[in-house]
Amino acid sequence: MPENVGVIGSGSWGTTIAKILGENGHQVLLWTRRQELCDEINATRENASYLPGAKLAPGVMATTDLPRICETCRLIVMVVPSHGFRAVAHEIGGYLDGEHVLVHATKGIEQESFKRMSEILREETPVRKIGVLSGPNLARELADRKPSGTLVASHYDEVITRAQQALQSEYFRVYAGHDVVGAEIGGTFKNIVALAAGVVDGLKLGDNTKALLMTRGINEMARFGSAMGAKVLTFGGMAGFGDMMATCASSFSRNHQVGERLARGETLEEILEAMKMVAEGVKATRAVRTFTEGRGFSLPIVDAVYEVLYEGAPVPAAISKLMTLATGDEFRGLVL
Amino acid sequence: MRPEDRERIQVEVTQRVVARYVEMSMNQPEGFMQTVVNDTVYHEMRRLDRATHNRKAKHTIGYYQDVRHKLLSGSDADQRRLLEGMARRFVAEVVGNFDERVYRLSTTMIPTGLGVLLNAMSPKRLLSLDHFRSSLANQISIQGATSQVRGLLDRGTLVVVPTHSSNLDSIILGYAVYLMGIPPLVYGAGLNLFTNPLVSFFMRNLGAYRVDRYKTAPVYKEVLKEYATCASEMGYHQLFFPGGTRSRSGQVEQRLKKGLMGTSLRAFIANHIADKARPNIYIVPCTLSYKLVLEAETLIGDHLSESGKARFIIDDDEFSRPKRLLNFFSNLLSLNDEIIVRFGQPMDVFGNPVDERGESLDPQGRPLDARTYISRDGVPYFDDQRDMEYTNELSHSIAGAYLRENVLMNTNVVARALFTLLRRANPGVDLYRLMHTGGRSSSFTMAELHTETEHLLTALKKLPVRPQLTALLQRGDIQEIVNDALTHFSIYHTQPAATRRGDHVFHQDRKLLYYYSNRLEGYDLPSVDR
Repeated sequence: MPENVGVIGSGSWGTTIAKILGENGHQVLLWTRRQELCDEINATRENASYLPGAKLAPGVMATTDLPRICETCRLIVMVVPSHGFRAVAHEIGGYLDGEHVLVHATKGIEQESFKRMSEILREETPVRKIGVLSGPNLARELADRKPSGTLVASHYDEVITRAQQALQSEYFRVYAGHDVVGAEIGGTFKNIVALAAGVVDGLKLGDNTKALLMTRGINEMARFGSAMGAKVLTFGGMAGFGDMMATCASSFSRNHQVGERLARGETLEEILEAMKMVAEGVKATRAVRTFTEGRGFSLPIVDAVYEVLYEGAPVPAAISKLMTLATGDEFRGLVL
Repeated sequence: MRPEDRERIQVEVTQRVVARYVEMSMNQPEGFMQTVVNDTVYHEMRRLDRATHNRKAKHTIGYYQDVRHKLLSGSDADQRRLLEGMARRFVAEVVGNFDERVYRLSTTMIPTGLGVLLNAMSPKRLLSLDHFRSSLANQISIQGATSQVRGLLDRGTLVVVPTHSSNLDSIILGYAVYLMGIPPLVYGAGLNLFTNPLVSFFMRNLGAYRVDRYKTAPVYKEVLKEYATCASEMGYHQLFFPGGTRSRSGQVEQRLKKGLMGTSLRAFIANHIADKARPNIYIVPCTLSYKLVLEAETLIGDHLSESGKARFIIDDDEFSRPKRLLNFFSNLLSLNDEIIVRFGQPMDVFGNPVDERGESLDPQGRPLDARTYISRDGVPYFDDQRDMEYTNELSHSIAGAYLRENVLMNTNVVARALFTLLRRANPGVDLYRLMHTGGRSSSFTMAELHTETEHLLTALKKLPVRPQLTALLQRGDIQEIVNDALTHFSIYHTQPAATRRGDHVFHQDRKLLYYYSNRLEGYDLPSVDR
């Protein structure tokens, strides 16, 4: 059944979600911060700067009017970068009430507080029906209608059902889950591993190396995640293993690109200056590192990426440090 | 309860319980109703097996044998009738104990009842009735959002949800509420509160209805929940302890029972569906704090007993021993101790704070229409899965309020300080062993205890989520704080928790120290090892 759906955030992923919703026959209000972008999308049916070549269905309309979106749409998808997430959540909070369903598709964690996006929504808005969308979803491929899958996780069955009904399509499979923490941690953590995978690719180290990195990456993710209250199995699903596979393999991934440039010897400042879009992994690395410091975690990959990004450690030194760590029981510290 | 409501609630509760099971049976394989009836008979027969066989019990056994017999040959409709019969029996029992005259008298009776009780037990008749009444009133200190709570009385139905550490809680709270000018609260008191005949005299007067915790049949529990829901819908202010039972460890409850809590939300939804004029239900978190807890020894003993030996129902504790009660109260009065009843900011059934007018507020303090949570396109409806999650969120909010409204006594802080010294002096020693053996040193210097207490007070004041402190603790005179706590530790309990000899303090009953120090659990305090 077609309904009014709001999409807050018009980067490549937000625009893709709006596109899928539009193709499913929903009336979509897509929020842009800047009036020029709004006008451009409405005039050309395309978000040329973030998702060139992807035509939006007639049911998709861009707007800068947040109150209008909250007024018109009961189902709203939030796709705002993690650093701007709280401010936007605070702003819409005043227009929302208990009937609204909020699903966010932001992969990241708040820097200082280490809060997950769903926690921010809970703090800034009166909404209880909150969910998270997370999976191997490279915007470009989905915009080109290539088959993909994802996970929507919420404590509320209603949120899951409504998100599934709105988003499921002939090329997009939406799986259901209740582990909100797992879905959010998975989506955040994989970006750190993707940075490292970019380095591996940049150095042309080969498939064994990458498999080693990803497998140990999932292991770190699961140990960290379960300590945060997630279910270990979630990390074997769309939001864990699935998302990490896609992000680590794809040269589309911004995090992967950062890694490749690091391998070439560029510094973080140079890379960030050259990139237009946000690489969540850069922020996530610092957030996870800051949070875990002194709390008894053993996360060598996170540490290595952190040292390369923020402490100027040379890439080869970081790799050799990882390779000389003591091995042991593969699943030590993991409880299913 | 008004007589007309009493009849109505009896019929209503029975109908709803049966309807609920009929609804459930729709999604269940055939034979579900038969299983429910059978299961109820089984639970009741098992209970009766263990009970003393008086005439009443024999009659009840006969009844259930009859049900079992009829079930064998019964049709679907017969099964439903059998369930209805059993539900009606349960309801009658719950409602039957609700005596209207007693309900009205209850609160004025409490102080008198207590006075009579204590006089009867006190050989020297030290306490005159008037003296007792006035001193008890003086010794209950009511704090927090009292005027807001009073203001909400006419705007909706209150559900007071206190922390629970003693059987005296309901008596104290009943009296506190009376002093505040709030009508008596409807609440289900466990049968075990009636075991002491003298105590039962005024428990009966205070308690609105009796709950038999030995009755384990799910149908009985449904009846209790539905009774609470209906009473809320009819506008009767309620009281229940979300911890379910007295805190064994001494900690402020952080894990709450969802069953009864969910009834407030159900009543809220039902009120909206019925379009009631005053549909709102207000949850009022409340903490009760004592310098000494009457049943501390039994509770912590149970908490620390080997796994499997802990009991959900304790009915042979200090509360059922008149001498201990008398001792407890005479100490309370002679030391002029305050019992603190503190009310937190009331909230709606979703855990949002409400303002003076009873309007819900969002996390940013903006007004909010609570009805939207239960509605789709403005139409309210029940949704079991959603409502269970709402109840989870409410219990989080209540648990959070407990941590903020918990009033620490100097006995708690000093016990924690002493226990910290003990842990630090015995690094790596298992907690249970430490409590059993006492570790390396049997005493610490008073100076050490003073320093540790001072550190702890400083740390407490800096916490982002912090407890309330009594006036004594706020003044911060460490000597006075420690001395007063040590005095208390030595007057009431069988063995003192700790005693001072010269410039040393000796830990004696370490379980008690642990118990009193646990009131500081749940806060982000620096670890023992520093």
